[in-house]
Amino acid sequence: MISKKLIVTNKFGVHARPAGMIVDITGKSKSEITIIFDGQKANAKSILNVMMLAIPPGSEVQFDIKGEDENEIMEQLEKLFNENFHEESY
Amino acid sequence: MSAYSLKDIIINCREKFPVNNLWTKHRSLLQLNLHTGESSLDGFIEESGLHRPGLAMVGFTEVYSYHQVQLIGHTEWNYLESLGAKRRREIFFGLDKFTSPLWMVTHGQKPHKELFEMCVRNKIPLFSTTLHTFEFSHLFQRILEEFFAPYSVIHASLVDVYGVGMLYVGESNVGKSECVLDLVERGHRLVADDVVHISKIGNSIIGRANPMVKHHMEIRGVGIIDIRSMFGIHAVRKFKKIEVIVELQQWDRNTTYDRTGLTSSIEEVMGVKIPHVLIPVLPGKNLTVISEVIAMNSLMKIDGVDTASNFNELLLKKIKEKEKNKEKSFIDDEFLDDSFFSSNAYE
Repeated sequence: MISKKLIVTNKFGVHARPAGMIVDITGKSKSEITIIFDGQKANAKSILNVMMLAIPPGSEVQFDIKGEDENEIMEQLEKLFNENFHEESY
Repeated sequence: MSAYSLKDIIINCREKFPVNNLWTKHRSLLQLNLHTGESSLDGFIEESGLHRPGLAMVGFTEVYSYHQVQLIGHTEWNYLESLGAKRRREIFFGLDKFTSPLWMVTHGQKPHKELFEMCVRNKIPLFSTTLHTFEFSHLFQRILEEFFAPYSVIHASLVDVYGVGMLYVGESNVGKSECVLDLVERGHRLVADDVVHISKIGNSIIGRANPMVKHHMEIRGVGIIDIRSMFGIHAVRKFKKIEVIVELQQWDRNTTYDRTGLTSSIEEVMGVKIPHVLIPVLPGKNLTVISEVIAMNSLMKIDGVDTASNFNELLLKKIKEKEKNKEKSFIDDEFLDDSFFSSNAYE
């Protein structure tokens, strides 16, 4: 299992659109993916799970990935976070 | 991108409306009377416009839409009436060189003898109708517009689900017919299966069944079945405006499906934009319920309720709140918001 902390850098936080982008990546994976924010764990493949965390901009979230494509998926998520979900930055 | 494209369909247009058709099919609707013989009905209407030949009768014929149907309304008839027979004869001899598809006198007025003679000379059909000019124009224009509308035939199925016209597209074998059958079984109405004739009328795409296939379906392993005699008259309908395109696709790990409903995908059919939904097909997945949900969702959108946007606004508000009081725990918030103890729901 790998684990990494990523910073939400877009202006509006993880609202529906970014959440959709996250599950687009995780949904294609065969690994088990968990997103952890503010002590809450959620299934990163479920959009409602991701959205209920209501992650504000500037927050740190942790991804735990366990499975054969864990490195690949983590890389894609890192890229997505670094690109501010193609939105304005924080 | 969708694998199934409705963009490169072949669009056909009818060019000639047989005048005979008007007499045989629309006689009672348009309350027609034929003054010339039936042999005059061999011609065709090639333009959908209606022309009021007032200026041509006064003598201005440099610009004259004589290719269109010539309509004598209340005004033109009274003008002719005021002239006297001699002048009328001159006018209609002057119009001999223009062969119109037909002349029509509205308001139940009796066509003048000179007009009748001109029509006979040139083998032009002369009709009269008891309808008022505007009623006649309205009805006649609709008949012509429908006839001249661009049309095409596509491989798809069309069902009326809660009054929403849902067009199912996708490769053969993906389960379109089975989905349609299930919808019919649940009380929705079949318009056409497998072959849909579509035509563009106004800014809408209207779909109907092939006149031969009608309400028949083919179910693999069973064969041809007749939906109307099996399920009853309420299970079929003749035509329906296409309001949503549902594309069924074999589920594919690498295809991105819409997860939020915030961005609506649009497909263009004959220049008309129609909302498009891509649904992955998986064994055990209930396409019927999903179809009903799509239909209800689109009814809600028509009603001005956009659930996805509303939900997102709620979420953005929540994120803002959390940003303000970062030290406060999120779980406590939730607890206070929705506490059992603060409401009567607990009892």
